[in-house]
Amino acid sequence: MGLYIGDKMMKYEEWSKLAIKVSKASLWMLHFCTGCGAIEMPPVMTSRYDMERFGIAPMATPRQADVLLITGYLTVKTLRRVIQVYEQMQSPKYVIAFGSCTINGGMYWDSYNTIKHLEKYIPVDVYITGCMPRPEGIINAFIKLMELIDEGKARGWEKYQKYYDKYKENQRRVFNFEIEGENEEY
Amino acid sequence: MDVMGIAIKVALLTAYAVIGTCVGLLFMGIGRKIIARVHNRVGPPFYQNFIDVAKLLSKKTNISHGWIFDLALLFSISGILLTLLFLPIGGVQLLSMEGDAFLVLYLLAIPALGFALGAGASGNPNAGVGVMRALVMMLSYELPFIITLIALMIYYDTTSLATIVRMQSINGVKSWAITMPPFMLAAFAADMALQGMLMEQPFDIPVAPHEIASGPMVEFGGKYLGSLMLYKAIALVAETTLFVDLFLGGGVVAHGNFAFVINFIVWLALIFLLFILSILIAASFPRFRIEQAFGFYWKYEAIIAAISLIWVYILVIK
Amino acid sequence: MLDIIFAELIIAAIITFFVGKKIASIIAGFISILPLFALIDWANNFGFKTISFGIERQMNISVAGITLHLGITPLSWFFALMILPLFPLIMLYSYSFFKENDGFYPFMLFAFASTFGILLSKDMLSLFLFWEIMSWSSFLLVYRSRDKEAIISYLIFSVFSAFAILFGLMILWHENFSLLLSDIGRINGIYGFIAIASLIIGFSVKSVLMPLHAWAPFVYSKSDEPFVAFLSGGLSKLGYYGMFLFLFTLNGVKILQNYTPNVAWNYLLAVVGSLSAFVATMLAIMQDDLRKLLAYSSIGQLGYIAIGFGIGTPLAITGALFQAFNHAFFKAVLFLAAGAVAYRTGKWKISELGGLAYRMPLTFLAALFAIFALAAIPITSGFAAKWLLYEAAIQQKYVFIAPLMLIAGVGAFLYSFRILYGVFLGENRYPDVKEAPKSMIAAMFILMLPLIIFVVFPGYMLDLMKPALSNSGIESIAHTKFAIETSLAKYNSMAVLITLIAAMVPAFIIYKARKHRITSFEDNYLAGEPYEFHNPSMHAAHNFYKPLKGVVLPYFEPGATYYFEKIYKGIGILSNGIRRIYTGFVQDYAIYVVIFLLAVMGWLIWM
Repeated sequence: MGLYIGDKMMKYEEWSKLAIKVSKASLWMLHFCTGCGAIEMPPVMTSRYDMERFGIAPMATPRQADVLLITGYLTVKTLRRVIQVYEQMQSPKYVIAFGSCTINGGMYWDSYNTIKHLEKYIPVDVYITGCMPRPEGIINAFIKLMELIDEGKARGWEKYQKYYDKYKENQRRVFNFEIEGENEEY
Repeated sequence: MDVMGIAIKVALLTAYAVIGTCVGLLFMGIGRKIIARVHNRVGPPFYQNFIDVAKLLSKKTNISHGWIFDLALLFSISGILLTLLFLPIGGVQLLSMEGDAFLVLYLLAIPALGFALGAGASGNPNAGVGVMRALVMMLSYELPFIITLIALMIYYDTTSLATIVRMQSINGVKSWAITMPPFMLAAFAADMALQGMLMEQPFDIPVAPHEIASGPMVEFGGKYLGSLMLYKAIALVAETTLFVDLFLGGGVVAHGNFAFVINFIVWLALIFLLFILSILIAASFPRFRIEQAFGFYWKYEAIIAAISLIWVYILVIK
Repeated sequence: MLDIIFAELIIAAIITFFVGKKIASIIAGFISILPLFALIDWANNFGFKTISFGIERQMNISVAGITLHLGITPLSWFFALMILPLFPLIMLYSYSFFKENDGFYPFMLFAFASTFGILLSKDMLSLFLFWEIMSWSSFLLVYRSRDKEAIISYLIFSVFSAFAILFGLMILWHENFSLLLSDIGRINGIYGFIAIASLIIGFSVKSVLMPLHAWAPFVYSKSDEPFVAFLSGGLSKLGYYGMFLFLFTLNGVKILQNYTPNVAWNYLLAVVGSLSAFVATMLAIMQDDLRKLLAYSSIGQLGYIAIGFGIGTPLAITGALFQAFNHAFFKAVLFLAAGAVAYRTGKWKISELGGLAYRMPLTFLAALFAIFALAAIPITSGFAAKWLLYEAAIQQKYVFIAPLMLIAGVGAFLYSFRILYGVFLGENRYPDVKEAPKSMIAAMFILMLPLIIFVVFPGYMLDLMKPALSNSGIESIAHTKFAIETSLAKYNSMAVLITLIAAMVPAFIIYKARKHRITSFEDNYLAGEPYEFHNPSMHAAHNFYKPLKGVVLPYFEPGATYYFEKIYKGIGILSNGIRRIYTGFVQDYAIYVVIFLLAVMGWLIWM
């Protein structure tokens, strides 16, 4: 550790192996329970599936969390909260999106106020398909995320920094105004 | 004191600070494992908390709310290390001859106050409510704890923890305070107070994650949260050690040249047992409301503690 | 020299009546430094090497056949050391506090001069005279508040206190035909008992001991802050000066014990003190008015001094004097900081303030440090004092007093944090507020100095009080520069401070290892809710200790104000009854005269 002290933003590849190992073995999640996917979380946390054995723990606030779970469909109103919460999280941070709603709007594809492609507004590292995904699927997604972190491919937060203007433009198109957030960093 | 003596002392203190931190993190991990087993889960590996702290300290972004917010980090770690070093640990006096139990009580307030300052400085209303709950909890559990402390002090006619430990270790286990009937009551009250000090389950009102978004810690992330985890780990060791020093003879069972190894192991086993006890209580009870906790401590616990105090007072006056 | 100092104080009081407020505060500030030179000079008499100005130790003033004996004693020197330095600094503070000079400075100077006089008094008459001048000048300062409750309660209690002292004085004259304080030891029996008891009761009004405290919350919360800082920091110590003087220096304890060998009066005083500390602390937790909170906190902190006097061992008395010294400074800083906050925002209610720490950082630092001292955090000298008192209670096995004292100490954290969070932290409500004026900041920071010095060297404080203690036949406790040792334990301030600094190192490494970014208050986690959508009231300070309120308050509040309201109403009814005598009919007045004459005749015949 200690390779990325200082002003300069270092590349993900330059991280020491230990830091990668550590950050993949302790993923703290914030579940943004807007959609029906939230109902799949309790079995994942409790004794049947027990996600804590992978070092995954639920957290109360975005400041403490590493992973943001978007559990299902988002409306325009909730998207704004999601972006606020995502920007309050502290990088490195990852996003796991649940179910087909986040991919293409799912069964609400023709609604006027749902968000069809979450990818356009915040970077998503792992999608879970299904409507709804089973707890095994969720655990699988976390394992996948760990693999991605290990391989250095879970770089959504860097993408968000790099293409911040593009993301903001997309967001603005939905809201018609800009969201103040962590933008000094970007 | 010569230079060599000071150097040895500094090395010893540093060693105990590191040991305290490691033991605390290890215990927290084991505690998580035990709670998982009670819940019929597998649970995280026992070294999980080391990983968590390392991850938090290596976070890239760290958000602060100004210089008062940073005081939380600075005061929480330094204050709790200070407290730990003023306790006799396993018969090793460390700095406990330079202060006493009252000093330890007030030193415990330094990290808490620093933490509260940082939480307040974030401006988050949840943090304010959380600190309020923590302070009310403190007022609640301190009353039975103080009464038991006074009972011990007037019995041994000293306020120094080192002296209390020495007087309890004269005849090994037989002279521990907990073997005496009045102090059994006192130890029960003090153990309940310890549960509140450790903020374990029936009394985890201040951090209640589902009500007030983990209370004072709501704005803490990255290195700030990491330092608070370290604080919690060391506080666990310090508070259980305080109990062991008061009632269980500081874990001192052997005297002689290499006795400190045995004493160290006994101390470790005792604080581990205390911690397991509190974890098991935590795993089996839901959370109190704050008024209920206050009533519990000021009515039942305080009365139990007061009975032991009166009992001891009669013994001493005779 | 001494008469010149007094004369200059009086002349300055008269001058300040006519000049503008800035000039008045400068005059008052500089004139009030003069007695400090006398203090420095007199230190030579008590075993300290200082500069000599040739100011005499004794002075007798004879007016119309009555002689006032003035002179310095080791005890009054120590109390002067804690009370008098407050005054110039409060004057410095008031340089920018007041809008105009409307009669504040003359009475303040009178109060100051009479305080100096009380400390120098060597006979009962001058003590009483100066006490009355002090009471009346401070009453006129209270009167500036134009608050009925404050004025009436202060008047009633001051008059009660003065009568109690006068009663003691008369008994002394009746028994001894001498008003010299040094002759008090000669009287014994019931007269000595009554004299000492009434004097102690009289003094305990000024020292806001619990049954006689009822005026303090009103007066402290309504008067001008500079005056309240002097009242709470300085004048309340005069009550304890009187108590110490009569109980220990003049052997009052022995007089009480000789008359009633079986009653432990000192234990009663300690119980009253500890109840005062406990109940006032509980009430302070519930207050929403910043000044009322500080008033109750004053009552609680001053209760500790009474505990120390009550326990009465050398350890306890040392602790009590130490606590008195600390209280003078930290409570003055707190009241001044509260005044600075009100000066900038115009608000007193804690729930209406908030977020001032980043706007007024220096005021915040001063208040924070004073609060550390109040809560007896071991990085301030507040801890050493409380520690000595706790040790004394354990040493004497006072199992009722010790828990109350300790839990009151914990309660101090609660109301301390109420001030810190409600006023200085939390939501940033006053984005345009500026830092307090420089003179206020300077005054507060200079007042903090003793708290810093005596945490590093608590032994120096014990050296300072040594002449006062040995003059009263109390041995001083074993100490070195850094450490205090009792029969129970040892407290080494240096070990604490050095270890704290050393323990800061790992914390600082963690702090510096990662860069952090300072974010604004608006960027706060409110369950994803953007700040501008949120209810404007984000401050949790309103009704802060609500869970405690329902549990604790019903037991404390009625007891604390009930009897005062009864007295208040009773005096009203009594005065109304007396007023009815004046019926306006000449016949009635003639009857009164006849009744009076008959009574006098009857008395003469009976004689």
